[in-house]
Amino acid sequence: MDFGWTDRDQAFRARVRDFLAQELPSDWDEIRRHGPGSKEQTEFSLEFCPKLASARLLVPHWPTAWGGGELSTWEHFILGEEMWAAGEPRGAQYMNVNWIGPTLMRFGSEEQRRAFIPQMAAGAAIWCQGFSEPDAGSDLAALRTRAVLDGDHYVINGSKIWTSYAGLAEHCFLLARTAGAPGDKSGITIFLVPMSTDGIEVRSIPSLIGHGDIHETFFTDVRIPATSRLGGEGEAWSIITYSLANERVGIPRYELSSRVLGDMVAALKQRGQFRDSAVQARAGAAHAACEAARLLVYRVVDQLANGRDPDADANIARVAVIRADHAVTDFGLDFLPDTFSGTGHPAHLAHHERAIVAGIAAGAAEIQLSLVARRHLDLPREAC
Amino acid sequence: MRFQPNEDQSTFFTVLEQMMGSGGAGWRAGEDWVRFDWSAEFDQLLEENGFFDCAAEEDLGAVAAADMVFCLASLPVTLECAASSLLRPQFFPHLPRPLAVIEDEASAVRFLPVARSILHIGEDGVRAALIEPMMVEPVESIFAYPMGVLRDAPIQWMKIDADPHLVSENWRIAIAAELAGALKGGLESVLAHVRDRKQFGRPLGSFQTIQHRLAGAASSIEAARLLVLKAAQSLDPVDSATALGYVQDASTDIVYDLHQFMGAMGLTLEHPLHRWTYRARLLRSSLGGALGNMQLASVRRWGEA
Ligand SMILES: Cc1cc2nc3c(=O)[nH]c(=O)nc-3n(C[C@H](O)[C@H](O)[C@H](O)COP(=O)(O)OP(=O)(O)OC[C@H]3O[C@@H](n4cnc5c(N)ncnc54)[C@H](O)[C@@H]3O)c2cc1C
Repeated sequence: MDFGWTDRDQAFRARVRDFLAQELPSDWDEIRRHGPGSKEQTEFSLEFCPKLASARLLVPHWPTAWGGGELSTWEHFILGEEMWAAGEPRGAQYMNVNWIGPTLMRFGSEEQRRAFIPQMAAGAAIWCQGFSEPDAGSDLAALRTRAVLDGDHYVINGSKIWTSYAGLAEHCFLLARTAGAPGDKSGITIFLVPMSTDGIEVRSIPSLIGHGDIHETFFTDVRIPATSRLGGEGEAWSIITYSLANERVGIPRYELSSRVLGDMVAALKQRGQFRDSAVQARAGAAHAACEAARLLVYRVVDQLANGRDPDADANIARVAVIRADHAVTDFGLDFLPDTFSGTGHPAHLAHHERAIVAGIAAGAAEIQLSLVARRHLDLPREAC
Repeated sequence: MRFQPNEDQSTFFTVLEQMMGSGGAGWRAGEDWVRFDWSAEFDQLLEENGFFDCAAEEDLGAVAAADMVFCLASLPVTLECAASSLLRPQFFPHLPRPLAVIEDEASAVRFLPVARSILHIGEDGVRAALIEPMMVEPVESIFAYPMGVLRDAPIQWMKIDADPHLVSENWRIAIAAELAGALKGGLESVLAHVRDRKQFGRPLGSFQTIQHRLAGAASSIEAARLLVLKAAQSLDPVDSATALGYVQDASTDIVYDLHQFMGAMGLTLEHPLHRWTYRARLLRSSLGGALGNMQLASVRRWGEA
């Protein structure tokens, strides 16, 4: 067991930090304030990601054949930490880098790979993920959106909800039902759908978490060529299980939380409000929550790096990550309430909007706890 | 960053596990329903086989020692392993063990009735003394440790040539390891119960409330163990205060939940749950308790003002 970083990892982190220090503009805090799914941040990502690509920092862990540098799991993860902590200047494109690109490499047809991967590696592609529906949230297999084969086309009808980035995305990684009733996983198929196709309508949903972050996406008689299907009919479940395996620990949220906490402490010190031992203890507790999350996540990264399946350890880590995000923003709400009003501090506000999402998006906290109970604690299935 | 044990550590833990599964380490009610089970024979077995000295071995080190304390504390028997594993090999290998560490002279001290040496860690230095059973007055206590106070006999203190801060940070880590291990032992015991016990026609462990609270406890305990191991390696004073503060803070809710899910059975001396929870209920206040350690971590990280 060794909790230190290798020289190589440290050098890589320093390289990413230097790049960020050089390339993030002085008004970056104002841009990031709008949230990763906002128009501002999406447009920024289209300037920023090509620069990352030129510096060979966009897809460093991809195979060289697709523009990558074959870097390690740890380096990929360090990149993710630094980007998230900087306010995710890659915007929606982090999804391409982390899982959409690699999924296409493995399951895409030659035509699909050539059509989409180079653009992703160049930092010029915005995708959205069309999974959740009004009646299929935590219970994703309940999705109803239908795709019916009609000659050499599929016709798609249905609606998606909470679709991040949909307003500006060029493509959607869509799950639709080609067979079976809601609940039947084996009837779900993946489609790579251009968002400009007739019959797609996107509505932004006003929210607590930044501008233009989440959307409703309606599909009415949307005709797409059968070649837009990724893999075979009914293969969606096994493909997304594979492609999201590396996403199992989710976003390295604790890194931003930990830095925002440091910032909040600095603000309190400046006001002479950090002398109070109660404030100090709460800051220590929030720090501990961040470090707990960090170590549990690192354990999972280490497992992935060694080609092992982290299984429930990933769910255990997610629970701690959610707690850490809340511990930090609650610290701010308790001791720096004015930071969330008026001109406030944009980074604290941006963190708050990310933190309140932590226990809901990408698998609710309660789903994580149930998985821990079943897979790690070996408790019997919940009865209805 | 590497979370897997090295080869020596792997072998070490395989053997330790075998020993933990042997006689003398399991649950025994004890005469007169005593609140703790001081397993002298198992303690001796570990000592004779050099387990308590593993921190001094290069390929095992303090990380393995801290993990061993975590493992041993998860047993229903009470062992003096924290000070013996994380302080003794480094600072006073020649002192006979068991050791009792005196944090506060006014209180009853755990392990005093079985200790052969006592330690005092003060700002100004570290002292140690050899003691005899007649120098100690055993004290009855709710805690699952042999507790005692020193009688008014003269004590021959020896000054130990060690940095008191380093000793005290190692002690902080040792307590955190022991507390996390005690919680883990209690959790395992409750898990076995809720898998087995049926109410309303189904196992208790199938109720989501119980699942979620135990899953939350598991996440905290796993995190606490990793925080402890990291602190044992880094010896960074922020890390040690963070580890102890974190596990002390988590212990309150965890101990509550463990007793809740055991029902009335958990309030009896016939079930071992108390052997873990009443160690945890003592250790939660050690070295300043959760608030004190969180505050300490904070001040060490960011300064006072
Ligand atoms: C900011 C944000 C961005 C998102 N982006 C996308 C996106 O780009 N694409 C996409 O497809 N989806 C996206 N989602 C949707 C996300 O995946 C869902 O919100 C999530 O799966 C939960 O579904 P739900 O919101 O319908 O909640 P529900 O499934 O209705 O659950 C509500 C709550 O009930 C509880 N609950 C649910 N099931 C159980 C259970 N079995 N046991 C105990 N408690 C339970 C949980 O507390 C849960 O939070 C996004 C969500 C957010 C918040």
